[in-house]
Amino acid sequence: MPSDTLEAGSEIRELSYAEAVREALGQAMEADERVFLFGEDVGVYGGAFGVSGDLVHRFGKERVIDTPISELGIAGAAVGAAITGMRPVLEIQFSDFVTLAMEQLVNQAAKIRFMFGGKASVPMVVRLPGGSGTGAAAQHSQSLEAWFAHVPGLKVLQPSTPHDAKGMLLAAIDDPNPVLIFEHKLLYKTKGHVPAEAYRVPIGKAAIRREGTDVTIVGSSIMARKAEAVAERLASDGISAEVIDLRSIRPIDFTTIAESVRKTHRLLVVYEGVKTMGIGAEISAMIAESEVFDFLDAPIIRLGGADAPIPYNPVLEKAAVPQEDDIVAAASNLVRRGEA
Amino acid sequence: MPIEVILPKVDMDMETGTIETWHVKEGDQVRQGDTIFEIGTNKAVMEVEAPATGAIRNIKAETGVPIAVGTPVAWIYLDGEAAAAPSEPTAAAAPVAAAASLPPTEAPLSPAIAGPSAASGLRATPLARRIARQNGLDLKAVTGTGPRGRIGEADVKRHLEQRPRCSPAPEARPAPTPAASPSEGRLQPFSAIRRIVASRLSESMRTAPHFYLTSEIEMSAARELLRRLAARHERIGAPKPSLTVLIARVAARILRDHPVINASAEGEATRFHERIDIGIAMERDGDLVVPVLRDAASMDMPAMSREFARLRDGMAKRTLTPAELGGGTFTISNLGMYGVDSFTAIINPPQGAILAVGRTLDKPVGREGQIVLRPMANFTLSSDHRIVDGVAAARFMAELREALENPEVLL
Repeated sequence: MPSDTLEAGSEIRELSYAEAVREALGQAMEADERVFLFGEDVGVYGGAFGVSGDLVHRFGKERVIDTPISELGIAGAAVGAAITGMRPVLEIQFSDFVTLAMEQLVNQAAKIRFMFGGKASVPMVVRLPGGSGTGAAAQHSQSLEAWFAHVPGLKVLQPSTPHDAKGMLLAAIDDPNPVLIFEHKLLYKTKGHVPAEAYRVPIGKAAIRREGTDVTIVGSSIMARKAEAVAERLASDGISAEVIDLRSIRPIDFTTIAESVRKTHRLLVVYEGVKTMGIGAEISAMIAESEVFDFLDAPIIRLGGADAPIPYNPVLEKAAVPQEDDIVAAASNLVRRGEA
Repeated sequence: MPIEVILPKVDMDMETGTIETWHVKEGDQVRQGDTIFEIGTNKAVMEVEAPATGAIRNIKAETGVPIAVGTPVAWIYLDGEAAAAPSEPTAAAAPVAAAASLPPTEAPLSPAIAGPSAASGLRATPLARRIARQNGLDLKAVTGTGPRGRIGEADVKRHLEQRPRCSPAPEARPAPTPAASPSEGRLQPFSAIRRIVASRLSESMRTAPHFYLTSEIEMSAARELLRRLAARHERIGAPKPSLTVLIARVAARILRDHPVINASAEGEATRFHERIDIGIAMERDGDLVVPVLRDAASMDMPAMSREFARLRDGMAKRTLTPAELGGGTFTISNLGMYGVDSFTAIINPPQGAILAVGRTLDKPVGREGQIVLRPMANFTLSSDHRIVDGVAAARFMAELREALENPEVLL
């Protein structure tokens, strides 16, 4: 039932990440009239990153709603709409602004189903453009996904490809619980094959992007893409890296990571969020606590964001988050048995 | 956290070291910079200082056993930690020579992963420990090649491949008759010096094609000269000159005119040394050491006698540095004082030649148609045929004879 402005002739086309998200939104709104969008500038302007595009023209201002600049208001309205049976999809213009919506997301959306014994549910989706690399400085460049992964009752996704961006968004809209999707701003223009039909990518299942035997590199979002690129370079250096794209950090696919580490005996976790108390700590601890501990042949290594606000200076901005060279160096050290 | 004391790398190419003496014992208070042990390496003994101030605990390296560089040998507990952390059971540091210990037949229990006191020893990855458990292997016998001697999967697998296969089927083998088995005796691992001597001399015999020229040289004039020099040295307060020093003095003088004997093979080239540095083979506690008379050609007999005495004392007191114990360009080995008539020596690599000196003995020789008794000594030059030819070596020996029989000419 392809029915939007994108070419629909072939089964699989090349779309950008932003186009894939838009296609998912359009297909969901077509299939289910309870689905509606709202957020700052998602309507006439087409979204700060152009994701909603022409959707306001196709579905009208009643279903693609420009809101006032109040993240708490947007989130509260979404929680209320979801409880009363709607399927709201909201956009937090920059994920950094989600701090203003914490009460509704953490204290309300995440807990209502549990506090009402399952009699109420909150089927809402929050899209959050995040990450650094656009020269937007400390208040517009953060990677805050780990904050929400700490909250029982929320699901947190980080698709890295156009294919997953579409399939996971559709799965999130189907889900009866609140789901947050962190979209890396640098990924919006990246392209990939995307099937035309509406399909779902299951939430909580990691993808093995490349098989290898010497070291497991785990990442999500843009770091999964970097790890995949780096694996080529490592291969030319004689190191066989297995790359796992988490896709979902809550729930997390521990089984896939564990099976990989059992095979490679070495684990490198790469993430853009601040390294301290981050996702890497959780994954490292899960492995260290598990029976896979006995299969480790080297310390688990984390590569994460610097313990500092993201700088405006473009050189420092790059230095503050793991780059491909950093991943190559860390993986090489790990396999060559140096102290990484 | 207690501070680790590791076996340091104090010499280039050093992979293992032997603790000769501990200056501290369990529980002693040390200050940063205090000498805590002495390490025997490339023929010298170096003092190792405490990296921190506190109490020494868990000394786990025995003296006299080669230990891999980087292995923790003790811990220093800082003030306050000492009381809280009782002394742990001492565990022997893994001897490098995997020596005699055959793997135990029963799998050891899982090694304790000590919490705050992971100090207790052995570094091994979880996977290495797992494989060791499965194979009933004691990790103490495995040499770790990872950071700080950490044992990894590859180390354990290498060890398992190399260890002798224990026959699990005794009935298939006849019991060995006692007569057929070699005497058990005592198995003593090489000292640090012994290992270096063994490896260097094996290398020398393998790579340098040796040939030997022997000359019997009359020592009347040399003896007379030594007698006169002794009186002079006594007057000026220099040590009594020895035959070995006189030979070194003569050799240094004539080596100037025989540069190919004062040379080394380097790949496919000959390195002619500008300076003449003569090593004198000596014995210390059963070990062979070779202190070097640096720039020997520049010294007269009193100077060389003083330097020789200094080296000999320093060697006995173990105060010589590695630099004073290596890097010669030519070596003299004199076993005459032990009654040896003559012998052939192995070249001290990378040098090109070594002179072996036998005892001086009155022998009947023909002089002017008469058989007379003269003090005679055998000198044997071992040369590396890659860089020295027979005639070049023979010319050197001819001049050595000339000089020793008429030493005034040179001195």
